[in-house]
Amino acid sequence: MNRSVQNVAVRRIIALAALVLIWEVLSRAGIINPFYAPAPSAVLRVVVSLFVERTIFTHLEATFAASLVGLAIGLALGIGLGFAAALMPWVADVLEPIMMLLNAIPRVILAPLFVIWLGIEISSKIALAVVLVAVLIFFAVYNGIKDVNQLLVDRVRTLGGGRLVLLREVYIPSVTAWVLGSLKVAVGFAFTGACVGEFVAATRGLGYLLQFAQSTYNAALTMALIFLIMAFVLILFFCAEAVEHRLLRWRYRGSKAKPA
Amino acid sequence: MLRVSGLTLGYGHEPILEEVSLEVPTGKFVSLVGPSGSGKTSILRAVNGLIAPLGGGVELNGGSDSLGFLFQDDALLPWRTARENVALGLRIRKYSKESAEEEADTWLQRLGLEGFGKRFPHELSGGQRKRVAIAQILALKPKVLLMDEPFASLDAIVRTRITQELLNWVEREHLSVLLVTHDLEEALTVSDTVYLLSQGPRARVVKSYDVAIPRPRDIFSSRKHPEFNPLLERLWQDMSAAMNLSEVESKA
Repeated sequence: MNRSVQNVAVRRIIALAALVLIWEVLSRAGIINPFYAPAPSAVLRVVVSLFVERTIFTHLEATFAASLVGLAIGLALGIGLGFAAALMPWVADVLEPIMMLLNAIPRVILAPLFVIWLGIEISSKIALAVVLVAVLIFFAVYNGIKDVNQLLVDRVRTLGGGRLVLLREVYIPSVTAWVLGSLKVAVGFAFTGACVGEFVAATRGLGYLLQFAQSTYNAALTMALIFLIMAFVLILFFCAEAVEHRLLRWRYRGSKAKPA
Repeated sequence: MLRVSGLTLGYGHEPILEEVSLEVPTGKFVSLVGPSGSGKTSILRAVNGLIAPLGGGVELNGGSDSLGFLFQDDALLPWRTARENVALGLRIRKYSKESAEEEADTWLQRLGLEGFGKRFPHELSGGQRKRVAIAQILALKPKVLLMDEPFASLDAIVRTRITQELLNWVEREHLSVLLVTHDLEEALTVSDTVYLLSQGPRARVVKSYDVAIPRPRDIFSSRKHPEFNPLLERLWQDMSAAMNLSEVESKA
């Protein structure tokens, strides 16, 4: 890490610590009403108790399962449909308007419909995560294939490569770059789908717990859960980034260029 | 040998060039020069089968496997290392992975890129990437090389060095070459014959010039040959006429 990046990180940590400290002092002094905005220390106590009393684990399991299964199915569906639409014009004619519509609307409004169709168990949460992720990935793949560098296609063709070689050497790597570029957003979408689905109707999950905290006016639990959701999404985000850097090492590996 | 007969190319029904005929005899270096938009690159793409002609045809001894096409851009796969890029054409021709990569290493070494095989294209300089692209083509042992201003993007020193190296290779291996270039001096320095195309659309071959400078050639000494300057002057005047520039200049 170079010095300027270190300096930025230090400044950010100091600013965050100062904000938390001011909040704590104002809350303890009674200037901020703890009913609406409990002190950071109170929020931290709730987070710790959720883990110590082990009440959080069943909810974490439900949310993570719905998110990760939804992410996997959404990726597979988006990639499959994106390839089909890009390679077969009649599929694009059918799919493009549907995907455009799904992309234009806030897709979380489908959550109540999935509950009606699939019940309040995990399936409706997975379905919402799938729809959120699949639409995103569909466009990544579809545009990735449409915008593939024609020079590379010509290069492989002049070397004697046919359709299969083109697919293996040009289209799939090109699309992989697009999909991995969208992976971080997709992880966030999958978690959003699971949490919103649980918020609408569920028996467990972080979204369900959040809905419970809100309905009982428990601001400390609400904040603790928001903090936890942010933390878990960030962890998944960094995992997705690590996967991206690993698989796209041709893009990220440092430059060692020397003159000819 | 490569023979282009009555080639007409276009987009839709509008020809960009018409009835173009030219010949690249075995072991000869032929250049195509002409104004921008005269369809020089399209001729190479048609020879390589990348675009279908509206009329005429291409005759090639040895079939399409004997062709090598050096693009203006490197067109290297960014997700493949230098070695994998060079090995790609060999893999397509059914070499095993090991033998293709071994052959690729040999070619990288011949082109002065020993130790660079594991680098990705973005980790190489412009000149190094161009050498990888040349290695990729030469590894396939083509009999006819098609070159579309391959060194235009390089700085003068690297460009001169790589051109000389490639010229040496072409002369030693008796390859036939069809080069597209804007650079008249380059065309005369390396070629046995230069064809001049007129301004498009409906461009045609207006003239051809035989360059009687002996081989093997050196880029610098070729330019001092007594034939060089008079030929360059004629080519320049004909090119200006082809671009209607002489008319414009005489009115100015």
